[in-house]
Amino acid sequence: MDLIWDGITEAFRLIFTGDGYVFDITLLSLLVSGGATLVALVIGLTVASVLAFRAPPGRTMALSVFNAGMALPPVAVGLLVAIMLWRSGPLGQLHLLYTPGAIVAAQAVIATPVITAISAAGLQGVPPRLRLQVLALGASRWQAMLLLFREARLSLLAALIAGFGAAISEVGATMMVGGNIKGSTRTLTSAIVLEVQQGDFETAIALSFILLTVVFVVIGAFTAVQQRRPAS
Amino acid sequence: MLSPTRRPPLIPFAIAFLALVGGCGGNGDSVVVGATTSLQDSGILEELIAAFEDNSGYEVRPVVAGTGQVLELAGRGELDITLTHSPADEALLIEAAETIERRTVMQNSFVLVGPKGDPAGVSSAGSLAEALAAVAAAEATFISRGDESGTHVRELSAWEAAGIVPGGNSWYQESGVGQGQNLVIASDKAAYALTDTATFIVLRDRLDLVAYFTDPDRPNVYSAMLVNPDKHPEVADEAARALLEFLVSAEGRRIIAEFGREEYGLPLFELPSPD
Repeated sequence: MDLIWDGITEAFRLIFTGDGYVFDITLLSLLVSGGATLVALVIGLTVASVLAFRAPPGRTMALSVFNAGMALPPVAVGLLVAIMLWRSGPLGQLHLLYTPGAIVAAQAVIATPVITAISAAGLQGVPPRLRLQVLALGASRWQAMLLLFREARLSLLAALIAGFGAAISEVGATMMVGGNIKGSTRTLTSAIVLEVQQGDFETAIALSFILLTVVFVVIGAFTAVQQRRPAS
Repeated sequence: MLSPTRRPPLIPFAIAFLALVGGCGGNGDSVVVGATTSLQDSGILEELIAAFEDNSGYEVRPVVAGTGQVLELAGRGELDITLTHSPADEALLIEAAETIERRTVMQNSFVLVGPKGDPAGVSSAGSLAEALAAVAAAEATFISRGDESGTHVRELSAWEAAGIVPGGNSWYQESGVGQGQNLVIASDKAAYALTDTATFIVLRDRLDLVAYFTDPDRPNVYSAMLVNPDKHPEVADEAARALLEFLVSAEGRRIIAEFGREEYGLPLFELPSPD
């Protein structure tokens, strides 16, 4: 237990002395996971809208796939993305392996099914006739979609929160495609792994505490938006 | 009221993503080096890389893994240069012409560490094989890397010399982790483990382990190899060569010979004996 208190004390010391190394890896974690969440959000909302509003054939099958995708093992995703990005792989020409871009790609693959599945469930919960009514009242298709998104706001923000949570807490794929390079691809999670490997548990706990704090602040902000009453 | 037509801001998202990915992409001035965990855990890798980057202007991307994985990636042309410590496996890659220009860079010793009091009595052994035989005879817990790293390869060859098959015994456990974490596990379980002197010295304050036996027969030799650009045209040959030359240059040799002297009171690596 002493170790945990020492770790938390160390976390405060690192935060308040403005430790450059910790600042850099925290910023990288936020940028990379934020970027991955944005990518996953764009893809996930598009796919979820099509599945919910267009009801294409095979919708149940597709939803099963995305629901199962919420349990994608990150290590397997990391391995697949790494092989794609190898020099000998189909995307080798991008020279993305062992760069932050590779981590964005891997985390986006992990977050996309989460966002798609939860968004689709939320959008399917909107009464189907509402869309037709809004269109009949002369709304453009974009306006109708925005209105339906607003109706499903609680679920969509839950999807965003779950997707960001999956991305920023991920480490297996992050290390496999990023390489844990100091100053370039070392995130909060991969830094924690490194400290544990080297037996420096105090610093590992300090970094864990910082990660939890960051997650709490970001997700707390999303939750505040989610719970805000819509302006009428 | 519906607001006037407003498109979802897809385009700004797309631009931001492309900028992020583009800005993070690789360039021709970087070199990917595959190195073993013991070099990272002792800290010398970071110091050598920092000095090389300052000297040369190249950017280094270290991929840290066990020797087995590093050599596998090198054989596929996914790395530019390797820094490993399993001479027999390195020789196989050279023979297959997947890698070229193997140069010994530094060395230290393999050391058998164990719990206080040396319950298996390994310290009086005459060879690493004898020391491991003592561990087996006492059925003392032994934590093996189990990952085809250079240390694991050395361990297996000593078991073989002792005529013992350790696998399947409850006292023999395979951790599958890097050099440093393997020691942390051994310390926690009051077990024996094979490691290298540098990693042990760096971590010993955090461990409940004592070094009992230094392998007298085989030094722990680290060699660098270039991935063969004739077989793998996509390697950053020029940058890799520059790094190789740096590792054996006067500056590189000075860093190696001095590393650890200030912090631990003794150098953690030696320069290789002249070939």
